[in-house]
Amino acid sequence: MRRLRLTTWFPILAVVAFLGVFLMWPLAHVFTRACWDKTGFTLGYLRNLFTNPVQIEAVGMSFLIAACVTVTCTAIAMPLAWLFARRTFPGKVLWSGLLLVPMILPPFVSAVGMKILFSRAGALSTLMMNLGLANGPVDWLGRFPLAGIVLLESLHLFPILYLNLVAALGNIDPSLEEAALNLGASPVRVFRRVTLPLALPGLFAGMVLIFVWSFTELGTPLVFGLRRVLPVMIYDSVSEIGTNPAGYAQVAFVLIISALGFWISKRLIARDRSVATLGRLSVGRKEVPLTRAGTWLATGFLLAVLGLAVLPHLSVILLSISRRWFLTVLPQGWTLEFFGRALNSDLTREAVVNSLGLSLGATVLDLVLGFGIAWLCVRKRVIGGDWLDALSMLPLAVPGLVIAFGYMGCFSGAFPNTLLDPRFNPMILLAVSYSIRRLPYMVRAAHAGLEQVSTTYEEAAANLGASPLRVVWRVTLPLISANLLAGAILCFSFSMLEVSDSLILAQSERFYPITKAIYALIDSLENGVNIASALGVWAMLLLGAGLLWATALLGKRIGQMFRAG
Amino acid sequence: MPIHPAIEVCGVTKRFGAVTALDDVSFSVEPGELFFLLGPSGCGKTTLLRILAGLETPDAGTIRFKGQDVAELPPHERGAPMVFQNYALWPHLNVRDNVAFGLVERKVPKTEIGSRVADALDRVGLKGYGTRLPGQLSGGQQQRVVLARALVLNPPVVLLDEPLSNLDAKLRVEMRAEIEELHTQSRITFIYVTHDQADALSLATRMAVMNAGQVSAIGTPLDLYLRPPNAFCADFLGEANIVEGAARWVEGGRWKVDTAVGVWTVTTPVEPGPAARCLVRPENLQPMAGPADGFNAFEATITGIRMNGPTVTVALESGGLALRATLLTQQGAALHKGQRGLWGVATANTVVLPQ
Repeated sequence: MRRLRLTTWFPILAVVAFLGVFLMWPLAHVFTRACWDKTGFTLGYLRNLFTNPVQIEAVGMSFLIAACVTVTCTAIAMPLAWLFARRTFPGKVLWSGLLLVPMILPPFVSAVGMKILFSRAGALSTLMMNLGLANGPVDWLGRFPLAGIVLLESLHLFPILYLNLVAALGNIDPSLEEAALNLGASPVRVFRRVTLPLALPGLFAGMVLIFVWSFTELGTPLVFGLRRVLPVMIYDSVSEIGTNPAGYAQVAFVLIISALGFWISKRLIARDRSVATLGRLSVGRKEVPLTRAGTWLATGFLLAVLGLAVLPHLSVILLSISRRWFLTVLPQGWTLEFFGRALNSDLTREAVVNSLGLSLGATVLDLVLGFGIAWLCVRKRVIGGDWLDALSMLPLAVPGLVIAFGYMGCFSGAFPNTLLDPRFNPMILLAVSYSIRRLPYMVRAAHAGLEQVSTTYEEAAANLGASPLRVVWRVTLPLISANLLAGAILCFSFSMLEVSDSLILAQSERFYPITKAIYALIDSLENGVNIASALGVWAMLLLGAGLLWATALLGKRIGQMFRAG
Repeated sequence: MPIHPAIEVCGVTKRFGAVTALDDVSFSVEPGELFFLLGPSGCGKTTLLRILAGLETPDAGTIRFKGQDVAELPPHERGAPMVFQNYALWPHLNVRDNVAFGLVERKVPKTEIGSRVADALDRVGLKGYGTRLPGQLSGGQQQRVVLARALVLNPPVVLLDEPLSNLDAKLRVEMRAEIEELHTQSRITFIYVTHDQADALSLATRMAVMNAGQVSAIGTPLDLYLRPPNAFCADFLGEANIVEGAARWVEGGRWKVDTAVGVWTVTTPVEPGPAARCLVRPENLQPMAGPADGFNAFEATITGIRMNGPTVTVALESGGLALRATLLTQQGAALHKGQRGLWGVATANTVVLPQ
């Protein structure tokens, strides 16, 4: 009997059309170009990834980095998650907030700081010479580039795994553990036989996410000068996108790995839910306070992890206020001029303006799309709503690299010299790519809001004479405004610091967003690196403030935004 | 122009998957009635109310408001404001804006909205509460705001969904009186859904007793209480002793029923047959000094006594039957458990339920 009204089918059509053009088409284009040439269907280019020695090296290196980062993140996040999910200790709330700090800068900016600390003329090398431990300058990064990349990416990504794990541990019904204790298992045995098996799906899901993210990370290896990794090879092949299908094959391969990872983590989470919700009781969990020794140990561990994590950030801050930092342990001479210059030079001023405009556009787009999708799925329960929801979550599985490459490929060819041609003017596509990348966060935020708000409020409004659109405007939107605002803040902040899309899509200086400007400044002469750092500090402040604000709005639910499933 | 009933419900059926929530329900409500839909939880009464409001779509049947078919109208065009069980006061709007909501949607001029809202709040005794947020009000006050929000529209019909179920016992009695007062003043047709027979018996002009998705009986509270058309209705309204027996013969204009506790005389006509059921309300059973004309009497043993305050409930056993009697406390004070004696009910109060 239910008729499909204009207010239902129009948003569906709009959302599907948008995702179709700006998400599915580029992906399809990438696959087509990777698997078809003049002779028809071929797996030759994909096979090339495993036969060409250079390509083998790049694929192997990417897998190695991803595997090392995943292991390192797990080693850091596991004890932290257990600590925060099961124990209380002084300063817990403060620490749990501080643990999100490493997320506030893309690792490629902290790589700048890392370089200063560990390069040939850097702090460590100088310190060792001063102490007589080394005869001449040592380029630590040149010697161990892999270690540097793994460390930076791990310290950046571990909070994501930590949040996933805390949630997985928190989802376990306390009575399941109490039952094991009651039947005679010691606390250690309970953890091994009950807690760990129940948390495993969540753990694996988080690990898969970390693996995929580090597998597709472009900025860090780029700054470290590591060319033979898949993301950097892809970046380098953008210039010959029209002529050489090798780039498409690499992108297709990255996409397959990501999609596979995403699918696995989704399956794991689904299993996790079915286990965790089995016979849930309303037993509150009582958290055990740590002993004195335990508290010292925990605090030491936290200090070490956070200290390491913020070391690159600290050196970025130092760089931004130092006149000279070359062959000395600490900078010599202090100045605040770079903060001014970071906002005054033509390049950076344009970059800041561009980024602000792009992020604003992306955020508005996400607000409309995210609310629309969540509303259609939760409230209208439209046929195919599950598919729409899955489609909107797809960007989690599609690295920015892939989207940007796809845009370069299909929009340049299809709409040459229009506003949809990234070589001509990338602004629209940049904003769209930012919004597509952050759409999952907005959908989740809106989704969570709608599920908390009883439908009776909307029924009452309709009952008193409000048409469907008026109900949304007068009741639904105001009631979930906090969620939408939090989602918008996250979209905006992360858009300001989006790396892969910006590096690939913005080809001429006029259109550089902040991240690409930083990248361009690093290698330029005349204090370029200081100005880049100052710009990085501005960005850090912005993202930090954004995260704090979003946390204040969402409270504990902020963790849900970064969950795997 | 013919005068139409305020509401006509014809053959309404609603299924949720395999469950039939409403099965061919029909009734009509006259303008100005305080009409009750009464039944146990799960009987479909709330579904029916939501169908009237347009919040659910029936699988079959028609709904007419004042003779006009409204089945295809979306909720916001029904013009039948509802008082929701959980109030549904928008937490982001203050009391005044909550009450003004429907007027704003109807594009009533601002000045008129102001005076009508103030008037409505005054009517429910909430003058001066306009700027409070719903969260700052007690349950009873929230209930009044919801009533004001519906009544301010001056609608032809107001739908009430278990309006008193979230209030404590004392407040219920107060609000019941206020709702009656508001109904009398406004002369608006009220459709009131409840599972509480006390609400229905004390307020209703007429009511439909519902059971398992069907209308079991329709009538005034007095009629349905004194002459329930079936055992469900008899049992659901008030308390009931059902004594089964066989209707045997007719003797001088008197109908006789052969029961486990003797041959009873009844005043209502009954078809001779093996399955006659007599209803005896507990308040009509009383101890007797000896057999008397016009009474059906029998020997019974007291198996328990419970004090209720103004009354006592006496549990009786006779011929394998368990019966209950309700006496004024003074009357029952001398009785004790295990006591055997003669009990009886006036033949006029022995009601034979229709087959």
